[in-house]
Amino acid sequence: MDKQLEKLISLHDLDVMIADLNRKEIRDKEADMGLKTEGALEELTELREAYCKSISRKWRGLYSQLTRHYGNAVVPALMGRCTGCLTRLPTAVCSDPERNSRVHTCPTCGRIIYWAD
Amino acid sequence: MKYTALCKFDLGSDGRDEAVSELLQLFPFGEKTRHLLAGALEVREQVGATVVHRGIALPHCRSILVDQLSIAVGRSADGIGWPEEKVHTVILFISPVKPNGPEEHAAFLSHIAGRIKEHGDEFASAGSAERLFELLDFQPAKQED
Repeated sequence: MDKQLEKLISLHDLDVMIADLNRKEIRDKEADMGLKTEGALEELTELREAYCKSISRKWRGLYSQLTRHYGNAVVPALMGRCTGCLTRLPTAVCSDPERNSRVHTCPTCGRIIYWAD
Repeated sequence: MKYTALCKFDLGSDGRDEAVSELLQLFPFGEKTRHLLAGALEVREQVGATVVHRGIALPHCRSILVDQLSIAVGRSADGIGWPEEKVHTVILFISPVKPNGPEEHAAFLSHIAGRIKEHGDEFASAGSAERLFELLDFQPAKQED
């Protein structure tokens, strides 16, 4: 898998973690179970900054733009379709065994696509 | 709630990262997916160890790499360093990222919190994976022929 694609997926999961801890409902549940939530957001935000620095400006910019627009920038492809907008993806790309070896975007919505291995 | 729950009753690992990796091996994910999930779980552990009760750890995250709630329960008689405290039961779960938000994740956190409060002390003495799943109120994944 392309290293930039790996980092974009990890960045997405990290953003989900940050968004969850920003929700009082989740934070309260985690705190109730004895999990550390104090300072967690700050630590995750710092980690995010470090992650972002390791992603090229091109993909980082696209990621931010897509996140602002759709809320989610990276989506899996399923049954040959982008799961963000359900557009059928080009057959040549979907059938390529090396499809994750570069970053692909949906031709319709522009979201970053990956194929589960 | 749709989920897959698997169990390894005799974890061989004695460290946190190894135990997480051993539990991730139970799922039919590809190597790259496992590697990325291990990274996400490690990030969650970095901001605070997920020991939720005496002897019980709850490594968890939400990820776009899974399409349904994926649970793996592990038991270790010798204990696993998590990293400062020894744990004997590990309940690892990964919730999917869905368009309607983290409702499923929140519901599962509530479920697990309730079961731990009620039966947490019995986990260590559960004599089988079936008994452990009964205490957790999980249905084990059906074995495919």
